[in-house]
Amino acid sequence: MNSTWNLIFFGVYPYLAGTVFLVGSILRYEFDQAGWSTYSTQLLASRRYMMWASNLWHIGILLVFLGHFAGMLTPVFEWMHVPVVMHQWIAFTAGTTFGVIAMIGGLMLLLRRYVNPAVRAAGRFSDLFILVWLLVTLGLGLGTQAITLPDLLHGNVANMDIFRAYLEGLATFRPHPELLMKIPIVFKVHMLFGMTVFLLFPFTRLVHIWTVPLNYLVRRYEVVRARRTA
Amino acid sequence: MSYLLDRLTFFRRPHEPFSEGHGEKIVEDRRWEEAYRNRWRHDKIARSTHGVNCTGSCSWRIHVKDGVVVFETQAVDYPRNGPELPDHEPRGCQRGASFSWYLYSPHRIKYPMIRRRLLELYRAERAAGKDPVEAWTGIQSDPEKRRYYTAVRGLGGFVRTTWEESTEIIAAANVYTIKKYGPDRIAGFSPIPAMSMVSFSSGSRYLSLIGATMLSFYDWYCDLPPSSPQTWGEQTDVPESAAWYQASYIIVAGTDLPTTRSPDCHFYSEARYRGTKVVAVAPDYSALTKFADLWMPVRAGTDAALFMAMTHVVLKEFFIDRRESYFIDYAKHYTDLPMQVLLREDADGNWVADRFLRASDLPQQAGQSENAEWKTVVYDTHTESFRCPNGSIGFRWEDHSAANAKSRWNLKMEDAVTGEKIDPSLTALDETDETSPVMFPHFATGEAKTVIRKVPSRLVDLEGGGQARVCTVFDLLVSHYGVDRGLNDEGTAKSFDDTDTPYTPAWQEAITGIKPADVIRTAREFADNAAKTKGRSMIIMGAGTNHWYHDDMGYRAVISLVELCGCVGQVGGGWAHYVGQERLRPLAGFVPIMAALDWSRPPRQMNGTSFWYLHTDQWRYERMQVDPLLSPTARGNYRGHSFADYNVAAARMGWLPTAPHFNRNPLELADQARKEGAKTEGEVAQWLAGALEKGDVRLAFEDIDDPVNWPRNLFVWRGNLIGTSAKGHEYFLKHLLGAQNAVLSEGTEGAVGREIKWHEQAPVGKLDLMVDCNFRLNSTGATADIVLPAATWYEKDDLNTTDMHTFIHPLTAAIDPAWDSRSDWQAYRTIARQFSKLAAKHLGKRTDLVAAPLMHDTPSELGQALGVKDWGHGEVRCMPGKNAPQVKLVERDYALIDEKFETIGPLLEKLGNGFEGINWDTRAEVAWLATHNGTRTTAAGERPLIDRDEKVCDAILALAPETNGEVAMKAWQIEEHHTGLSLTHLVEGRRDEHMTLHDLKAQPRRCLTAPNASGIIDPKGEVTYNFAMTNVHERIPFRTLTGRAQFYQDHEWMLDFGEGLVLFRPPLTMDALLEHKRAGELTLRFLTPHGKWGIHSTYQDNLRMLNLSRGGPHAWISEVDAEAAGIRDNDWMEIINVNGATVVRAVVSQKIPRGVCLMYHAQEKTVNVPGSPTTHRRGGILNSVTRVVVKPTHMIGGYAQQSWGLNYYGPVGSQRDTMVRVRRLSDQNVDWLEGPLTEAIEREPSALGRFRRETADNLGEKS
Repeated sequence: MNSTWNLIFFGVYPYLAGTVFLVGSILRYEFDQAGWSTYSTQLLASRRYMMWASNLWHIGILLVFLGHFAGMLTPVFEWMHVPVVMHQWIAFTAGTTFGVIAMIGGLMLLLRRYVNPAVRAAGRFSDLFILVWLLVTLGLGLGTQAITLPDLLHGNVANMDIFRAYLEGLATFRPHPELLMKIPIVFKVHMLFGMTVFLLFPFTRLVHIWTVPLNYLVRRYEVVRARRTA
Repeated sequence: MSYLLDRLTFFRRPHEPFSEGHGEKIVEDRRWEEAYRNRWRHDKIARSTHGVNCTGSCSWRIHVKDGVVVFETQAVDYPRNGPELPDHEPRGCQRGASFSWYLYSPHRIKYPMIRRRLLELYRAERAAGKDPVEAWTGIQSDPEKRRYYTAVRGLGGFVRTTWEESTEIIAAANVYTIKKYGPDRIAGFSPIPAMSMVSFSSGSRYLSLIGATMLSFYDWYCDLPPSSPQTWGEQTDVPESAAWYQASYIIVAGTDLPTTRSPDCHFYSEARYRGTKVVAVAPDYSALTKFADLWMPVRAGTDAALFMAMTHVVLKEFFIDRRESYFIDYAKHYTDLPMQVLLREDADGNWVADRFLRASDLPQQAGQSENAEWKTVVYDTHTESFRCPNGSIGFRWEDHSAANAKSRWNLKMEDAVTGEKIDPSLTALDETDETSPVMFPHFATGEAKTVIRKVPSRLVDLEGGGQARVCTVFDLLVSHYGVDRGLNDEGTAKSFDDTDTPYTPAWQEAITGIKPADVIRTAREFADNAAKTKGRSMIIMGAGTNHWYHDDMGYRAVISLVELCGCVGQVGGGWAHYVGQERLRPLAGFVPIMAALDWSRPPRQMNGTSFWYLHTDQWRYERMQVDPLLSPTARGNYRGHSFADYNVAAARMGWLPTAPHFNRNPLELADQARKEGAKTEGEVAQWLAGALEKGDVRLAFEDIDDPVNWPRNLFVWRGNLIGTSAKGHEYFLKHLLGAQNAVLSEGTEGAVGREIKWHEQAPVGKLDLMVDCNFRLNSTGATADIVLPAATWYEKDDLNTTDMHTFIHPLTAAIDPAWDSRSDWQAYRTIARQFSKLAAKHLGKRTDLVAAPLMHDTPSELGQALGVKDWGHGEVRCMPGKNAPQVKLVERDYALIDEKFETIGPLLEKLGNGFEGINWDTRAEVAWLATHNGTRTTAAGERPLIDRDEKVCDAILALAPETNGEVAMKAWQIEEHHTGLSLTHLVEGRRDEHMTLHDLKAQPRRCLTAPNASGIIDPKGEVTYNFAMTNVHERIPFRTLTGRAQFYQDHEWMLDFGEGLVLFRPPLTMDALLEHKRAGELTLRFLTPHGKWGIHSTYQDNLRMLNLSRGGPHAWISEVDAEAAGIRDNDWMEIINVNGATVVRAVVSQKIPRGVCLMYHAQEKTVNVPGSPTTHRRGGILNSVTRVVVKPTHMIGGYAQQSWGLNYYGPVGSQRDTMVRVRRLSDQNVDWLEGPLTEAIEREPSALGRFRRETADNLGEKS
């Protein structure tokens, strides 16, 4: 990959995806209130099946996401004085575990989308597409472990340092795409797929992530709405 | 503002906690709520209803937004009932609430459509320079061209056309048919006028003006109970639903009120709160049964045995053991029980009940000079002599024209000569010990064919010397029921537990499966309640009892019980027949417009059942024989005749109408009669009688399959003839339409006919043109040649009434007709305009010879009084109007049809208006209409306009006594003159009321009491409407021979069939099953009750009802049967017999008894219906496996109450006696028949050939 392409993919594209993600979400929220939904098909399927499929998927994918975020964008391990090799071991173990859990759940969901005619009829194209996209991204992520593990056994954590530096650069608007020039291709594809998830985000059911009703955890028992509007 | 920014108010968001912090008031964006508010916002509300055959007649508010109907809600502004009664509203059900879906649904017919092949042919002819009529002639005269478009009926292939072009073709076809064959070869079918009177009138007015035939529907649907005309001379008149609340004992038999009377059913449950006891008689555990105090799970089709056993108990305990004075008094005044019947000695020396004794039999005709043969006789206990009392039919048609004429047509029990009070003797036992051994017919399976019982009798001196034995109807009845009265009679029942003697409670158990103790207790309670409350015991019944071949037996068994208990005509009592009985209240306003009586009289009308039975050639497949149905005591002059033969004889004697009339064009017949010197109507009649006797002119029915006698054009509007009402659906497809059909039999049985000519080759595709006018594409549209887009019930002005309540309310155009649709009235107005244009050149002014039957409620109902003489058999000379059809001449100026259609003609002023034998001057109302509606210039001068739908509504409302108090007053004054009674008090207080459409749009209004109904409408809504109230409380006679409710039917044909008195006749086991029973097939009785998710074929195909039900056609079977056949719930099933096949989903349920397949009525084949693997044709409808059989006793005519009238009397199209085979279809065997039309399919419309080949293959036999 020459440096121009590298610049486009890892210097420009992340900001493009991020912009679409943010602006797109806001516009969708403004202009498609009634369409802001999970488009859930849970009612149409077996409860037991969904209990496993949906929970495995959601727990797995959320923890994988959290792992990426905490491990790469926060200094939490440094604060705890965890050595970098240990950090990498933790990341590897947790990532594989929850990645596999998410993969099992995701494949169950995909199977249901194909097998259950009611769900197939009720689902939109974008529902199927984003699920497949996420599963491919996840698969690629798990695939990178094939490179990470041998490195790790040799105490080599260079790649992680590169990613951390690269992501830090991205987050602080001082991108260093050139850092990634030597990274194995599977990492790059995984990253491109991952960034594309943000690009696709506003056009799919994924918007429901924005409005997870977390306030139910803290709100008062009885809420009444005032007649006057805000 | 922005949704997002509005949420980002963390710092200024007020928090107002309350309840110690458990709750909180928040302020947040609430715009999302508007989505829900907008769903129910609207610009306009209009009042309308659903013009559907359900008798609901519910007022609805139609909500319109942006010019689109968005939803409907129930109107709740009916006038209140009195404080003692619950109100009628809210009215409506899940079906009506789903109607707005149709307006914009894929079913909607948006533009005039025509079969592409027909259009191509027509345009080619026109392009060759021919005018429309010549073009149509060109198509019809070439058999291949005709086949080209008729053979693909039902196979799609429609293209869009215009009103201009489609109506031009229709008009051309009509003109051609009238010219070549005669106007009586054009027919029209539309059901139930009460549901939308103006729309019904549209087509029938056009057809009546051109001389075409309007077909009846009530008898054809088998909703007409022939027992009602037989007993009371009344088509059907029933209590409104609020009357259930005023009953204190109710038996419900064969009708499922929660399912089919949803808006009224609340009265049924409210009555129970009032303490009313309810007994449900139903073979299945129906929705009704759930509320009942007692369930009698009677075997399907055996209701007569059950009710006769109850009557046995009542006769024994309330008439013999103790004489309940209320019952006795009622019987003497309002029933024929005291009338005297002659006993005849047959060839074997047995005594047999014969006809009623008449005044003409008595010395000096009992002082009666006029109509003495039509006056019946009682025995007066005061003077100990035979007397002729007031009220029988002979008095009705005496000449009342003299101003001082005193009418005796009333129910005062007086001597008709002297006016002395009479006390009629109910039984001869009181005065004499003399008895006669009388032989009664008996039809229960496996029992003796006759029963001999002693009947108290006396001798009467006859005119011209000699004596005869007579007895009262009561004495006959008691003996007939096998009740022991201490006469030492071996034939009578020893006790209620006597299993061998019909009609005891113990005897019926083997037939009905009901425990005798339940029967005895119910009978006692029913009668005891009636005696204590003066008749507040009610029996509600419907299709489950009435849709059988011997329906009149089931019903007469019920009627006998309520008559003996004095319930008929009493508030909260009597019979309540609820199936298809919709009452068109403003009848006298409707009929003249509907039948165009303002321009020409009489209209051509025809009984539907005979028309379809003969013209769809179902008679050719007639496997039933008549002779086994005859009584052993029959005179039997027609022994050996087939059902079709009986129909020919009945038509010949003027009993039933004919369409077409003769094997000649009636226009040419009139011309020929004139040419041969006959000038007046009477002379033409004489000329025709001669021609008929010589055989120069023949009845069309005698050779029904001759192409000259085929019906050529058929109009269907507001109905679904083919997809719902075509009993013998596949025969319709085959013979009438020439379409793909699944008839699995050759049809050779009809060859035995004696009066009807047999053609070896059965005709196929008789119709040249079928036109459907509807808003919804169903099987009728799919098989038609031209489909016209009609306005829906929310797009036109119309009127609607029912007999479930006494209100009248409108249909209103909430929006203009969508797309290219038009109201029926405007559609036929367009056709009339096109017709006149073409007719001016091709037809001009012609005289039409109309052969009308001897009509009920006219003097012609006095036909042959004392026995049947058939001129066709040379027994008597042909006398039109007496023993042959009446002959009338009608002038038709065919160029003026359009202006006649849209104006009110001069005959109303000239001849007056009226109904049921009364006629009043209506000039004032016509003058009012001229001012109110405006006028236009016609050939008959300035005439009031009825060009727009709302003007037609106002014309109906102005002319009818129910909606115009002044007219009601006139009608009652005339009725007073006819009866010699005082009656105007019934409407005195409402004389000033005159309703218009605008009034009804503001609020539904309660109708006025009028003489065409026998109920009294209380303006305060305290006394509920019920049948026979004016008979029982005002003493107006029933319109029967005796003037009373008749237990006894003395017409020769009734006696021939053993039905002088009611008796139990088992359901027919129609021999229509396929010869070879295949593995895994069940043989089941096929029942077709009305269902929950549709009103006939309407609603059941809409998305909402499909979602709520099974998503397509389905039929119910019992768990036990299902297991035997390996059928699981929701499996595909094939239901099949020789008539055809239908494919449905199985519903397996405990609620169904064994041996029954219950397919809810009229599930269409337009949605989710695959092909049948046996017939390789589309799975069909319920009627794919039915075929009608007609009953000769329903053909009787010219005999008082047993005279024909449109939808009043005539053979009924029963279908419950059908047996079917049912088997499971595996999903792999389901063929959806998707694919293009091929030459092979087109050339073999009949399923029979392939079926024969495959059956032969499977069984290894030669076909």
